[in-house]
Amino acid sequence: MSIDAERLQLPLARPNVLDLAPLYEVLRREAPIAPVTTPAGDPAWLVTRYEEVKLLLGDKRFGRSHPEPEKASRISTSAVQDGPTGEYATEEADHTRMRRLLTPAFSAKRMRMLGENMERLVDACLDTLIAEHEQTGVVDLHRGLAFPLPVAMICGLLGVPEEDNELFASLSERMASTEIGAEAHQAREEFFRYMVGLVEGKRGQLGEDVISDLVRAQAEDESFDYVQMVRLCVGLLFAGHETTVNRIGLGVLFLLTDRSRWDALVADPDGRVDAVVEEVMRLGAPGDLGLLRYAKEDVDLAGVTIRAGDALVLSINAANRDVTVYSEAEEFNPDRPERTHLGFGHGAHFCIGASLARTELRVVFRALAQRLPQMRLAKELDQLQVRATLTGGVAELPVTWR
Amino acid sequence: MKVVVDQGKCVGAGQCVLAADDVFDQRDEDGLVDLLDASPPAERLADVRHAAAVCPASAIAVED
Repeated sequence: MSIDAERLQLPLARPNVLDLAPLYEVLRREAPIAPVTTPAGDPAWLVTRYEEVKLLLGDKRFGRSHPEPEKASRISTSAVQDGPTGEYATEEADHTRMRRLLTPAFSAKRMRMLGENMERLVDACLDTLIAEHEQTGVVDLHRGLAFPLPVAMICGLLGVPEEDNELFASLSERMASTEIGAEAHQAREEFFRYMVGLVEGKRGQLGEDVISDLVRAQAEDESFDYVQMVRLCVGLLFAGHETTVNRIGLGVLFLLTDRSRWDALVADPDGRVDAVVEEVMRLGAPGDLGLLRYAKEDVDLAGVTIRAGDALVLSINAANRDVTVYSEAEEFNPDRPERTHLGFGHGAHFCIGASLARTELRVVFRALAQRLPQMRLAKELDQLQVRATLTGGVAELPVTWR
Repeated sequence: MKVVVDQGKCVGAGQCVLAADDVFDQRDEDGLVDLLDASPPAERLADVRHAAAVCPASAIAVED
């Protein structure tokens, strides 16, 4: 296989929800920064090697905004990562303020303190699933655990009523959908209006939650734009459940499609869960694109010249399977010596929810291994319904332990 | 072993706390790194090195 001089069309079709298109390996070797056409039909660079992806994520010559947003390449066909975000002139200052506001609420220590609460929630989910299994013989781990746990946690942190979960989950699903065209953008508008209602409802009775913190900060800082604040709340609610729900699903699939992986975790859940979670973060590859950046100036890198304003799709999925960084990179091996990955990004935009996600994933996989050691998939991997969204993952996770 | 942190670079990701919570903490007010032990014992070297490796801002330096 070799790379054509012609532009590749994204997304590169994958064989199944766990594996990537074999072409990524060729790209890393022969064209680590390759010209592509985005799903939206515009030109961009696809970056596939660990070295360049990490470098670009930490490089201030690349940002998420664009000086002329209307001229910028469009990326996904959903309403998430579809184009530039934020104000070009104030991007860095806005981002610094946002991190300063949010970082304490998502700190590692605070997330650890939530751990016991998570354990109780997971146990309650498993109690319900076990009772249901006695009747039916098959239960859906997606509906019964992978979805409700992250939703409950992010609702508690942000101060969002949990009973709204069907509404915002459906808005998130439509907003991230890659197949419904303009309706995805309509969903984003609806999500915005929902959040305005929530914000205004809180204003008279602000509490100890992240949305209340943001409302207070916005009221006190006239450079903090209202629309920007509401969008941030939408982003937190979207990212706070969508990503972890998918990651739990992918992790269960990695573990159950090869019995030896699952048995190894079952043999020592406390000792092995942390390494298993990191490997799920490395290999789990939700969605078919990557993180989006726009160049602020001309940059020569890896044999190509990136022009100011060019769009770059940084493939975290491909970088995390780079054979020059990981031995037997495609293998699921929690015992591997390489302990770092780009599953939460890198640099200034490093996932603010990383400690939350890690804590949730550790609690979930430890509890599953302890309480359901006989668990196995009730459907073949290829029969599972894959979500047609930017964030990917599966829509169902039928399991049995009979 | 000597550990140096750069609070100017720190993005408050808290990865170091998860790796070695006897050496690193996050400040309550802004979530930035708080170095608890600038000269941890040698047996902590592996975890402290790991903390430096996973830091998304490269804000931790370790000298043997």
